[in-house]
Amino acid sequence: MELSSLLTRRRVGMAAAASTAGRLLRLGAVRAEGHCRRLRRAGLERGFLQPTSAGKDAAQKRHVAHFTFQPDRESQEHGQTQKMNLFQAVTSALDNSLAKDPTAVIFGEDVAFGGVFRCTVGLRDKYGKDRVFNTPLCEQGIVGFGIGIAVTGATAIAEIQFADYIFPAFDQIVNEAAKYRYRSGDLFNCGSLTIRSPWGCVGHGGLYHSQCPEAFFAHCPGIKVVIPRSPFQAKGLLLSCIEDKNPCIFFEPKILYRAAVEQVPVEPYTIPLSQAEVIQEGSDITLVAWGTQVHVIREVALMAREKLGVSCEIIDLRTIIPWDVDTVCKSVIKTGRLLISHEAPLTGGFASEISSTVQLHDELPSFFLETF
Amino acid sequence: MAAAVSAASVWRQSLAQAALLLLRRPGVRGLARSQSHRQQQQAFSSLDDKPQFPGASAEFIDKLEFIQPNVISGIPIYRVMDRQGQIINPSEDPHLPQEKVLKFYRSMTLLNTMDRILYESQRQGRISFYMTNYGEEGTHVGSAAALDSTDLVFGQYREAGVLMYRDYPLELFMAQCYGNMSDPGKGRQMPVHYGCKERHFVTISSPLATQIPQAVGAAYAAKRANANRIVICYFGEGAASEGDAHAGFNFAATLECPIIFFCRNNGYAISTPTYEQYRGDGIAARGPGYGIMSIRVDGNDVFAVYNATKEARRRAVAENQPFLIEAMTYRIGHHSTSDDSSAYRSVDEVNYWDKQDHPISRLRHYLVSHGWWDEDQEKTWRKQSRKMVMEAFAQAERKLKPNPNLLFSDVYQEMPAQLRKQQESLAQHLQTYGEHYPLDHFDK
Repeated sequence: MELSSLLTRRRVGMAAAASTAGRLLRLGAVRAEGHCRRLRRAGLERGFLQPTSAGKDAAQKRHVAHFTFQPDRESQEHGQTQKMNLFQAVTSALDNSLAKDPTAVIFGEDVAFGGVFRCTVGLRDKYGKDRVFNTPLCEQGIVGFGIGIAVTGATAIAEIQFADYIFPAFDQIVNEAAKYRYRSGDLFNCGSLTIRSPWGCVGHGGLYHSQCPEAFFAHCPGIKVVIPRSPFQAKGLLLSCIEDKNPCIFFEPKILYRAAVEQVPVEPYTIPLSQAEVIQEGSDITLVAWGTQVHVIREVALMAREKLGVSCEIIDLRTIIPWDVDTVCKSVIKTGRLLISHEAPLTGGFASEISSTVQLHDELPSFFLETF
Repeated sequence: MAAAVSAASVWRQSLAQAALLLLRRPGVRGLARSQSHRQQQQAFSSLDDKPQFPGASAEFIDKLEFIQPNVISGIPIYRVMDRQGQIINPSEDPHLPQEKVLKFYRSMTLLNTMDRILYESQRQGRISFYMTNYGEEGTHVGSAAALDSTDLVFGQYREAGVLMYRDYPLELFMAQCYGNMSDPGKGRQMPVHYGCKERHFVTISSPLATQIPQAVGAAYAAKRANANRIVICYFGEGAASEGDAHAGFNFAATLECPIIFFCRNNGYAISTPTYEQYRGDGIAARGPGYGIMSIRVDGNDVFAVYNATKEARRRAVAENQPFLIEAMTYRIGHHSTSDDSSAYRSVDEVNYWDKQDHPISRLRHYLVSHGWWDEDQEKTWRKQSRKMVMEAFAQAERKLKPNPNLLFSDVYQEMPAQLRKQQESLAQHLQTYGEHYPLDHFDK
C-alpha cells in the first residue's frame, strides 16, 4: 500500500517524518520509544528511519502510532460533557438519534452485541432487537437494504465493518443511493441513509484493515463523505450526517477509537457539513488534512515553528464532498502556500482535487503547490 | 417451618428450570448428566448421538450420498386456465366480477397498443429507445390486481402493465419516453424508466437487481411501521443471477420481511437463454434454499398469477415472511429497440407463443366464453385504445424538453456551491454560443 504522505505514521520501530522530495518542508526523523508518542529531538535533513538505540528492548515491544492525539478545548456551548473516546462518542450520537427518531434503525455485521469496535454497545438492549440488529455478511445487501429503508422515509444507519469492505456496496452507493433523487426527478430519495465505517491506518491492519477510500467516492455527486478528527467532532458530524437529507458516508478513524479521548457533550449537537475548520491560524503556509492526519499535521506545524520559524495555518477539511473550497482558498490567498497531506495513495488521491481546484481559483495566481 | 419447606421447593423448582434452560442450549450434555434427577423427558443424555451443530437442524446419515438436483421434473407450474382460457379446476377460479376482469383485459391490451406505437416511434427516430412488454402482460396485471393500491412496487424495467393497471395516464408514459417537460422524472433518464410516487411505483433504474435488496429494506420499514403494507419486487430470471438477488433473498428471510419476490422468467436475458443463465431448477427452486416459501406459476395465465399473488400477499403481511413467485412466461418481443432477436432465436419459436399461448388471447377466450366480450366490443376497443394512445403520443411530441437548469438540481436536496458554479458556467456558455444548441426545443 502506497504511503503518500510526507508525514504519515509508521509503526516499525520508529516514527518517520522525513522526506527527500519535499521542497517546502524538510523534517528530521523522529524517534519513538515504546508507547511514548512525544516528539524527541528532530534534527533537520535526516534519513527516513533511524535505528533505535533502545536495542533489545525495541525488539520486544510492538510500536504503534507515533502521533499524539490532541484534544480540542472543551466546548461550553452544548451543556454537560463527559469524558468519551471516539467509539463512545459514536455510541452517544447513535443513542441520541434512536431516542429522538422512532424510525431510526442500526444494522450491519455484528452490531447487535455491540460491534467489533464497540460503537453500538448497549443500544440493542435499550432500543430493541427490531431497531439494532445483525444482517447477514453481505455489504451490497447492507447498503441496498439501507437504501430501501430510507426510500420509505425511515432513518437507516448502516455499518460497514471496515472501509476496506465497502467495495461490494460500491454499485449500490454510486449507481443507486447517489442518484436516487436525481434520476426520479425528486419523486424518491434515500436521504435518510447514513453509512458508517471504520477507516484508516491502525498500525497492524495491513492491506485490508487500513484503507482510506474517500477518493473513490469523491468522484460521485449525490453523496456526502465526512471524516472526523476527534470524539467531539465525530459526534457532531455523525449527527449532522444522520439528519442530512442526502445519503452520507461517515468514515471513523479506527486508530482514534480508543486513542482519542476528550470531553464530549452528552446531549445531541450538530457540526455543519461541507464546512472546513481552521484549527490553527498562521501566515506562511496552509496545511490541509482530515481524520487522523490532522494530528500529525499539528505536530508538523509545531516542529515547523520551532525548527524553521514557519507559521502554519491548519485546516481540517472534515467533509470531503461537497468540500469547502472557499475556506481553503481564502487561507491560501492569505498564506500563498498549500500543503495537503493524506494517508490514501497519492495518485488520484483527494489532494489532487484540492490542489487543482485551488490552482484554478480566480483569485489565486498560478503558483507552485506541493502535495504529499 | 412451612415457609422453609415451600422456599426449598421453590428453590428446587427454579433450579430445575435453570437446568432445563441450560439443557436446551447446545453443548452442555455434561451438565445434563449431573442434573439428571431433575430432568424432564425432553432432556437427553450423552448416549444420544444427535447432531449438535448450531448451523443445521438435521439427522445423521451413514451412507455417502449426494443430493441430485432435479431439473427434469422441476417444481410444478400452477395454472387456473388452459391455453384456450377454460378453467381447469373450478375451485381455483377466483370468480372475479366482470368489471374487474374487463379491467384486466383493457389494461393488457392498452399496454400492448401503447407498446406497438412507441416501438414504431423509436424506429422512426421520434424517441431514442423503447422496451416492449409483449407476452408478459399477464404477469403485470395479474399481480398488480392482487395487491393493495398502496403496496410499494420495485420493478426492473418490463413491468409497465403494473403502472397501467394502477391507471397511470398515457400522457405521463409518453412524457417519460419523450423526456419532455411534463415528465415527472424531469427528463433525466432513458425511456421506460417510469416512476410514480402517488401510485407507489419506485422509479426504475437501469442497473439490474439493485432494486431487490432495496425492496427488502422497504418491506422491513413497512413491517416496523405496522402499515399493513407489503412490498413487491419484480425482476427477470437473468437479474436473479446478480449478487444483489442473493443478498435480497437472504436478508428478507433472516429479517422476516413482508415482501413478494416476483420473478418473470421469460426465457431470455437479451440473447442469453435460460440454459446459459442457470443450471438448477429455475428461480423457484432457490427459494427453499433461503428458507423462503416459493411457487412457480403459469405467467401467461392471469388468474394463476392473481391467485398466487393474492395468497402470498395475505400471508406475507400476516406472517411477516417473504414469498417467491416465479412466473413462467415468454418474451415475445426483442429485448429492446437495440436488439434484433432473430439473431439468436427462430421466428417459429416466437410465433408459437404469440399464437398459441398468449396471456391476452387466453383471457379473451375466458371473457368470450362468459359472454363478457365479443367481436364488436373488440373492434370498438381496439379503435378507441389506439386513438387514445395516438392522441397522447401527438401531444407528447409537441411539448418542449425540460429546462437545461434541471441538469443540476436534485443531485443533492440543496444545490452545493460547486454545482451552482457549473450551472452558471453553462448559462454563460449558452449566452455566447447558444446558436449552436437546439435551445428552441427546450423550456426556457
